[in-house]
Amino acid sequence: MIELLALLFGLATLAATAWCPPRLTRVLGSLLFALMVGVVSRFAFGVHVALLAAALAAVLALRFFPPLVLRRVVFLVPALVLLIFSTTLLMYRAPGNPFANERATSPQVEAALRAQYGVPKNASAFFGIYMRRLLVEGTLGPSIKVQGRTVEELIAPAFPVSVALGLLALILSVVIGLTLGIFAGLKKNSLADHVSMALALFGVSLPSFVLGAGAMIVFSLWLGWLPVAGWGSLRHLVMPAFALALPNAAIIARLARSGMIEVMQQDFVRTARAKGLPESWVIARHAMRGTLIPVVSFLGPAAAAIMTGSFVVEVLFAVPGMGQWFVKGAINRDYSVVLGTAIVYFGMIILFNLLVDLAYSWLDPRVRSSDA
Amino acid sequence: MLRTLISAFLVIVASLAVVGLTLSASTGRRAELRFVNSTEPKTLDPHLITGEPEGRIAEAIFEGLTRLDAQSLEPVPGVAESWEITPDGKTYTFHIRTGARWSDGHPLTAQDFTYAWRRLQDPSLGAEYAYIMQMVRYSEAFNTHEAQASALEGPIQNALHELGHSSPGAVPDKAVRDFVSKQHLDAVLKGTPNAALRAFLLRGPGELTQGELGVLATELAREGQRRRALYQEAKLHFGIDGGVYAKDEHTLIVELVAPTPYFLALTAFYPAYPVPRWAIEKQTGRNWFLPANIVSNGAFRLAEWSVGSRIHLERSDTYWGRSDVKLRSADALPLENQTTGLNLYLTGEVDWLPQNTYPAELAQDLRKRPDFFIGPALIVYYYRINVTRKPFDDVRVRKALNLAVDRDVITREVLGVGQQSAFRLVPPGIRGYTPPDTGISYDVAQAQKLLADAGFPGGRGFPKFGILYNTLETHKKIAEVIADQLRRNLNIDVSAYNQEWQSYQQSTRSLDYDLSRAAWVGDYEDPNTFLDLFTTNGGNNQTGWSNLVYDRLLEAAGNVEEFVAAPAFILQHASRAPELERLADAVRLNKEAPSRLKVMAELRLELLGEAERILVHDEFPILPVYFYVIGDMVKPKVKGFYTKLRGSDGATRSNLRDLHPLRSIYIDEHPSPRDGAP
Amino acid sequence: MRKSPLQLALQRVLRNRMAIGGASLLIAITLSCVLLPPLLGLDPNHTQPSLRNEAPSARFIFGTDTLGRDVFARVLVGGRTSLLVGIAATAVSILVGVTYGAVAGFYGGKVDEAMMRLVDFLYGLPYMFLVILIMLMFSETARGDALPVFLALGLVQWLTMARIVRGQVLTLRHQEFVLAAELIGASDARILLRHVLPNVLGIVVVYGTLMVPSVIILESFLSFLGLGVALSWGQLVADGIAVVNPIRSYWWILVWPSLFLGATLLSLNFVGDGLRDALDPKART
Repeated sequence: MIELLALLFGLATLAATAWCPPRLTRVLGSLLFALMVGVVSRFAFGVHVALLAAALAAVLALRFFPPLVLRRVVFLVPALVLLIFSTTLLMYRAPGNPFANERATSPQVEAALRAQYGVPKNASAFFGIYMRRLLVEGTLGPSIKVQGRTVEELIAPAFPVSVALGLLALILSVVIGLTLGIFAGLKKNSLADHVSMALALFGVSLPSFVLGAGAMIVFSLWLGWLPVAGWGSLRHLVMPAFALALPNAAIIARLARSGMIEVMQQDFVRTARAKGLPESWVIARHAMRGTLIPVVSFLGPAAAAIMTGSFVVEVLFAVPGMGQWFVKGAINRDYSVVLGTAIVYFGMIILFNLLVDLAYSWLDPRVRSSDA
Repeated sequence: MLRTLISAFLVIVASLAVVGLTLSASTGRRAELRFVNSTEPKTLDPHLITGEPEGRIAEAIFEGLTRLDAQSLEPVPGVAESWEITPDGKTYTFHIRTGARWSDGHPLTAQDFTYAWRRLQDPSLGAEYAYIMQMVRYSEAFNTHEAQASALEGPIQNALHELGHSSPGAVPDKAVRDFVSKQHLDAVLKGTPNAALRAFLLRGPGELTQGELGVLATELAREGQRRRALYQEAKLHFGIDGGVYAKDEHTLIVELVAPTPYFLALTAFYPAYPVPRWAIEKQTGRNWFLPANIVSNGAFRLAEWSVGSRIHLERSDTYWGRSDVKLRSADALPLENQTTGLNLYLTGEVDWLPQNTYPAELAQDLRKRPDFFIGPALIVYYYRINVTRKPFDDVRVRKALNLAVDRDVITREVLGVGQQSAFRLVPPGIRGYTPPDTGISYDVAQAQKLLADAGFPGGRGFPKFGILYNTLETHKKIAEVIADQLRRNLNIDVSAYNQEWQSYQQSTRSLDYDLSRAAWVGDYEDPNTFLDLFTTNGGNNQTGWSNLVYDRLLEAAGNVEEFVAAPAFILQHASRAPELERLADAVRLNKEAPSRLKVMAELRLELLGEAERILVHDEFPILPVYFYVIGDMVKPKVKGFYTKLRGSDGATRSNLRDLHPLRSIYIDEHPSPRDGAP
Repeated sequence: MRKSPLQLALQRVLRNRMAIGGASLLIAITLSCVLLPPLLGLDPNHTQPSLRNEAPSARFIFGTDTLGRDVFARVLVGGRTSLLVGIAATAVSILVGVTYGAVAGFYGGKVDEAMMRLVDFLYGLPYMFLVILIMLMFSETARGDALPVFLALGLVQWLTMARIVRGQVLTLRHQEFVLAAELIGASDARILLRHVLPNVLGIVVVYGTLMVPSVIILESFLSFLGLGVALSWGQLVADGIAVVNPIRSYWWILVWPSLFLGATLLSLNFVGDGLRDALDPKART
């Protein structure tokens, strides 16, 4: 009950951060930013450097940061705390626990393990231990199912792998998706339109495990062009990057086509055409921006998801990325792993949504985002 | 426009740079032998390992007093070069070889074993496999008695107190039973010599008066004190001068509670491996077994462990028998997708696919290939029946279910690679064990009759129920076929449903199911590893079934001498009482050590056979489905890999546990075609 | 006689041949999934292991699977689940997402910021646990039932819909016709419903038709992890891919469910495009 009240209070606080007055935002934002920089740099460089970095960050933020960024920071820190709290409640509500095994564990053994890993039976107590670890000890806690390693030791090698693969997939999906979508939108209802949309549909309606498994048979086993699975060279990247990119490319294509059709009917495009400007100039200069808005809205969360890895693609192609930890953490009830991945994912979401909001005002100057 | 293009270009270039950097950071010298390990090992601490993927690696980097010979899987000298056993079979003297060394150069001594075996039993370590070595004197007391004493003195007394207060007069039977099961009293009082408590555990239904309650409280407290004293004694002696202790640096003495025929095989199993005290105590977390910290004593050393990519092993240059090890290096790949594993094998990227690393659906087609090897396994697949739910509390219903399932359809058509239909619990092939009569066969008419007798003629009135399985393709297929058979043979409403692993475990543990899938892999080649499951309140029983005679039979098998001294209760209930009596007499009269041990071993297996008979002839808390086979796919160039065993007695046997020590594997780049046993 | 905008829209849809074709196919598939199994007495779970892996024939027009079950029956019954899950989850997310996104985008400023912050927060929650919990709440009562799945999926999917609609409304908010409506004193609700929403319907329909396949695929992914329902197109496709490999290939187990899935999604898209064009307020010529 108290936990539920705490949750509601937290949500209200989050919404309330929108009304934080500018002055307070500047001070609070700088302090919280310093705290974040401190905690993060502690993982990498130790306490002394972290203190120094935090002080430097506070000054820099106070002096130079635009309000837009500071507002995000004021939201981000309480949101992270609330995220950890609510995820903990969710995890403790789910059946099972990280110490459950195929063979029965005796109560004594379980008690010993709970004490050793700092996983008490009560959700709030675990939340306390976790926050303490994060802020005071500077660790994301030990993984229970991958013994001997902390969560940061699991994420540190996996995250760059997912980012690398994700970036490639992102570029592929944007290039393929926009090309198909704009082309189809311009030639609306032509054969070319239907063909490219059918292609897009093909991409979105095949699950990535089917797409990936099919590609593996064709390109590795029959043709022998690409290695089956693994990580370590550009050739290893081709199939997983396409498997990740195609479903997103398909969505982008459809969104872009629809946006294109919409924009081409707008008055400013008609005006530009009436002025006798060349068609390509009209498209590039005027229509492009309008087309991109729905695509960009979609790309924010999608990019965060792509860059933090996909379980299916990683398992299929044996890529040592981060996506596996989202699923394994949940399946194994490895609480610290779940929280660690949730924090990283959340950070990415905030980052990309910030970029999206920046892109909005760039794409359409009339959008007076509250932050501008 | 130009600016946009340039910035887009810059973004792409920067991204590709990130990709390049990440790729160049990952390295990988290809090992001589590459094999697929079904999942990432949870740990490589030999005392905390429980699974196959971990075992495969641990077996390569550590070595026990004995090791299993690759061709016979019989124990041969490992760290110990020889040993003597006393005539009563209870004391072993191992002679540690002088050449044995740790990977950091430390000589390996008897003290390393006393430390390791004490650590395994240390309650604060929480080792799951501690029980497997508890025939060693003092170990059980050291491992369990303190916690049991605390429970007896604290929570159990409190609960008893509340029980007394809950009703002013006599305490109703149900409340007493709840108390017993909630406090795990059977487990806490396991093996107690206290007559009053034994009588309490064995009592029939009935109320408990306040007076009896008082006596019980006193006896429980006394038992608590007794256990605490035993723990104190064990703590003082175990690993120091009792149970297991070092006579000198090269002589290790092990004392057993009862003679154990398979003890030398156990000393080759990972719970009995030595561990390096100094390396463990240097670390604060559980991470001494990571490549940077580990000190080991096996034929290989752990050179690299990249989570999600591979474990890389290299031949050890400190191992005493390094001249016999031909394999230079090995990679274990943690691949969770079986199709990917198979594709890697087909393109020559890996050389060995052990059981469970290729799609089971393909086994029927794969077995036609010359590089696929299949043989029986020590694994049983069965369904638990929740006897605490109606109508499954009726033995006739349980038997009817057992009779209405055509297992041959499953083994021949669904699985189809030589699995055997199971009408018992213990897989065939265990030496010396004669399986008992079974009441299970495929007999729809009898099943329908039994169901009618139980009050459901023609299946009418039978409640709708579910078969629970954890999500996996094979489990799903079997559950759907069995549900379909029950539906049509008995005219009852059955559906199969799945839960993800943790939810499934929670459901089975809390008896929140009707029928649920289960399988058991034998830890060692003995019926006990299977029959032990169904003792009352056993952690892996999970059916709610409890049978007094069954419990006594397993206790007797665990300590045959005790049974011989007081056989009355069991003989009264046994189906083959005369045979048991004859063997008991033979043990009693025979004073000559070796042949006495032999008769005792025979008697022990007879007792276990009696126990299995209760499960599959009388009571049916389970529905056995089939006995596994295991299949390995291995390239012809991999030699020293034995799919058929040849024992020291010259007999050929199956590799029941799919064990292939890396120590004797080697690569022959120009192989001749392989026959069954290279 | 003057026609209402709705009648006009309907007229335009009817004139679009692709949309009509799509709609007919969609109706045909839905009807056969709903009606054929009981009419023909098809049992998707009847196992006949001795007849397993049979190629399509007169007796089993789509062949049999690895347990000898009729693939035709399984495709039809699986279709019920997939259609229900896909459409219901999409409906839930459209309803919630459009309302939420439109309000946020329309009012803008602090309200928009607060509402979007909550969406950002909800994105961060590990949705696997949400799904596990929702499934669990229903597990004893609804074995293999689709209800908890679409609830769980709808609850996750509305977030992106809300962001897309909000982004679109933010641009529309400052267009002349909205400002004009404001000037003549129209109420907020009226402006939203009459002027803003019609202009975002296009993108909503397009994204909605895209959401149906992603939900169906997500559902198969959940089944793959053991969290989903038993018999659906996604699940059948996943089963199918397991038996197509270089060792052997029983193509019909994969092809039929894929074909039905593909045909449904394709026709759904044509209907969506038709609707989009018909509802486009600028195309009233």
